[in-house]
Amino acid sequence: MSTATTPRGLWKVVAQREITTQVRSKSFVITFALLVASIVGMIIAFTLMSGRTSTHEIAVIDQPGQTVVTTANDNAKAGDADVRFTISEFEDAEAAEKAVTDGDVDAALLPSSSGYDLVGQDDVDTSITQWVGQTATQLALERNAGESGVDLGALTSGTQVGERLLDPDAGDNGLRQVAAFVFVLLFYLMALGYGMQIAATVTQEKESRVVEILAAAVPVRAMLWGKVIGSSVLAIGQTVVLAAVGVIALLVTDNGHALSVVGPAIGWYVLFFVLGFIALATLWTVAGSLAGRQQDLNGTTAPLQMILFAPYILAVTAGAGVKTVVSMLPIVSTMMMPYRLAEGDVPMWQLGVAVGTTVLAAVLLVRLSASIYERTLLQTGRRITFKEAIASSRKTESSAA
Amino acid sequence: MLEAQSLTRVFGDTRVVDDVSFTVRPGRMTGFVGANGAGKTTTMRMLMGVLGATSGEVLWDGAPATAELRRNFGYMPEERGLYPRMQVREQLVFFGRLHGMSTSQARSRADHLLAHFGLEERATSLLDDLSLGNQQRVQIAASLIHQPGALVLDEPFSGLDPLAVDSMIDLLHVEAADVPLLFSSHQLDLVERLCDDLVVLSAGRVVAAGSVEELRGHGEERYRVVLDGQDAAWLRDVRGVRVDDVDGATALLTLDGIGASELASTVVGRAPVLELARVRQPLSEIFREVTR
Repeated sequence: MSTATTPRGLWKVVAQREITTQVRSKSFVITFALLVASIVGMIIAFTLMSGRTSTHEIAVIDQPGQTVVTTANDNAKAGDADVRFTISEFEDAEAAEKAVTDGDVDAALLPSSSGYDLVGQDDVDTSITQWVGQTATQLALERNAGESGVDLGALTSGTQVGERLLDPDAGDNGLRQVAAFVFVLLFYLMALGYGMQIAATVTQEKESRVVEILAAAVPVRAMLWGKVIGSSVLAIGQTVVLAAVGVIALLVTDNGHALSVVGPAIGWYVLFFVLGFIALATLWTVAGSLAGRQQDLNGTTAPLQMILFAPYILAVTAGAGVKTVVSMLPIVSTMMMPYRLAEGDVPMWQLGVAVGTTVLAAVLLVRLSASIYERTLLQTGRRITFKEAIASSRKTESSAA
Repeated sequence: MLEAQSLTRVFGDTRVVDDVSFTVRPGRMTGFVGANGAGKTTTMRMLMGVLGATSGEVLWDGAPATAELRRNFGYMPEERGLYPRMQVREQLVFFGRLHGMSTSQARSRADHLLAHFGLEERATSLLDDLSLGNQQRVQIAASLIHQPGALVLDEPFSGLDPLAVDSMIDLLHVEAADVPLLFSSHQLDLVERLCDDLVVLSAGRVVAAGSVEELRGHGEERYRVVLDGQDAAWLRDVRGVRVDDVDGATALLTLDGIGASELASTVVGRAPVLELARVRQPLSEIFREVTR
C-alpha cells in the first residue's frame, strides 16, 4: 500500500498526471518515433557520405597525360586520401572536351602551350586540381630539371611547405558541424514542442474550468511546479534517450571515433538542456494562463516562440565573435554552448558564466512566472496581456508587503 | 461549523457581496438562495478561498479558516469542470490524491462513489463520452472523494432529472451526515424539501437567515376551513380570528387571539366541516417577501 501524499508532495501528483497523460497520447509516440528515426537516418547518411572513396575519371589524349594521371592516382593511394583517378583515352582534345560536356568523364587533362589545362564543365573538383594538377607540375619540373641539368633537389630545397595541425580533430569538421546543428535543432524542437504542450494544458484547464477545483484543492504553486517538472522530466528523458540512440547509432555504424569528438558536447548539452528548459517551462505556463481559450494561445506564446527562434537563427548564421558573446546569455546558451562545444573547444570560464547566467535566469523567471500564474490562473474566459499580468502581480506583491 | 463573517467583495465600483454573515452548522443542510446575480457564487468562491475577500473573514469553529484547512472542503463550482479527455475513475483517483489520499484509498473511494451512481461500467470511459447528467454525477463524486470536512456546492442539482436528484440527495445524506453543507439552488421546492437551514441573499446582502422553521414562524399561523355546503362568510364574526379571504364554502383565516384547538371546536360546533388545515407558507412566498 502506498503512503498518503503530504501537502508538500502534491506537485508529484500533478507531475505524474502530466506525464502519464502525455505518454499515452498518440502525438507523443509519433513525434518521438520520428525524432529517433531522423537521428539514426542522419548518422547513416553521414556515414555513407564521409566514408566513401570517390573516383574521378580523367580524359587524356597522350602518353604524358596518362603518366600524370597514373602517378596522381599512386600518390593519392600512398597519401591515404579517399580519392582515386582512372584514365579514359580519347583521340583528340575535341573528343575529350565532348566527353566532359556529356558528363562521361569528370575532367580532361589536355596539353597546352604552357603545360596542361584541366578542363571541366563548370568547375573542376578540388581533389582533381590538388592531386592531378600538382602531379603534372611535379613531373614537368623533374623533366625540365633533367633537360637543363639542374639539380632539382637543390632547386626545390627550402620550398617545401609542410602541414602541422594544432587541432587534428578538425579533420572531423563535417561530423562536428552535423552534431552542432543537431543539438540546436533538437533543443529548438523540444523546447517549442513541449512549451506549446505545457501552455496548451494550462489553457485546457482554464477552458474546462477544472482549474477552479484544482485551485481549491492544491496550492497554485504546487500546480505550477507539477506541470513544469512533469514536462521537464519528459523532455529531458526524451533527450537522454535520443542522445543514447545517437551514441548507439554511431557505434553500430563504426563511427566510434566520433564519440571522442562530440561526446563531451553531448554531456554539456544535457546539462544546458535541463537548465534552459526549466527556465523556459515556467514562462510557457504563464503564456498558457494568459490565454482564455486555445485560440488565444498563438498570441500569448508568440514572444516565447521569438525567444527560441532568435538563437536558432544566430546559431546558424552568426560570426564567431557574436556567437562567443551570445553563448553566455541565459537560455540562448542552451543552444549556442553545445553548438560551440561541438565545433571546437570552449574555455572553461565561458562555460561557467553560461551556466551561472542560466541558473540565475531560471530562478528569477520561476519567481516571476509563479506570481503571474497565481494571479491569472483563475481569470477564465478572456485573454490577459503580459502587461496587465505583470502589473497585477506587482500590485499584489506590494499590497502583501 | 463554517461561518462567513462580514464577507465583502468589490469588483470595480460594485459591491457584489456586501457584509455577508451566516453560519453553516454541521449535520444540517443549509440552502443558499437568491436571484441571479445576488452574489451566491461569489460568496461561495470566497468561502473556498479561490477568490479573495475584499474584507471579512471565513471562520471554522470560531477561528479564521486557513487555506490548508479549506483545501479539505469539497467543492462543486458553478461552472462545472473536470478533465474532458481523462478516464472517469482515473480522474477521481487523481483528485483524491490531490487531497492527500493514497492511491489505494482513492481507488476504493472512487469505486464506492461510482457504484452509488451505477456508473461502475463507465469507470474507464472518458468523461467526454458520458451524458451530461452522468458528468454531473462524476463532478459531485469528485467533490466527495476525500470525505471532505465541509461541502460547498454551487447549484448541485441543476440539470438533473428527478430520479438523479433523489439519488444525489441520498448520497449527500450519507456522505455529509455530520459535516456542514451549503448548497445553492434556484429550485425552491427542492430547497424546501431538503434544507434544515436557509440563507437568503438579495443584491449582495443577507436578507434572511436561520432554520426553515424559524423563517416560517415569521409568517403568522394561517388556517384554511372548508365547510360542507355552507357559506363560510359567518366566520368573519368569530372572535380571535381574522378572515383573509372567503370563497363560497372556503375561508382563509389567521389566528388572532385564539388557539388552533379553540378554532376547531368553534367551527365544528357550528357547521359540518370537510377540512380544517394549517396553511404552511411556501418557501417561494418567504423568498418573495424577503427579497422584495
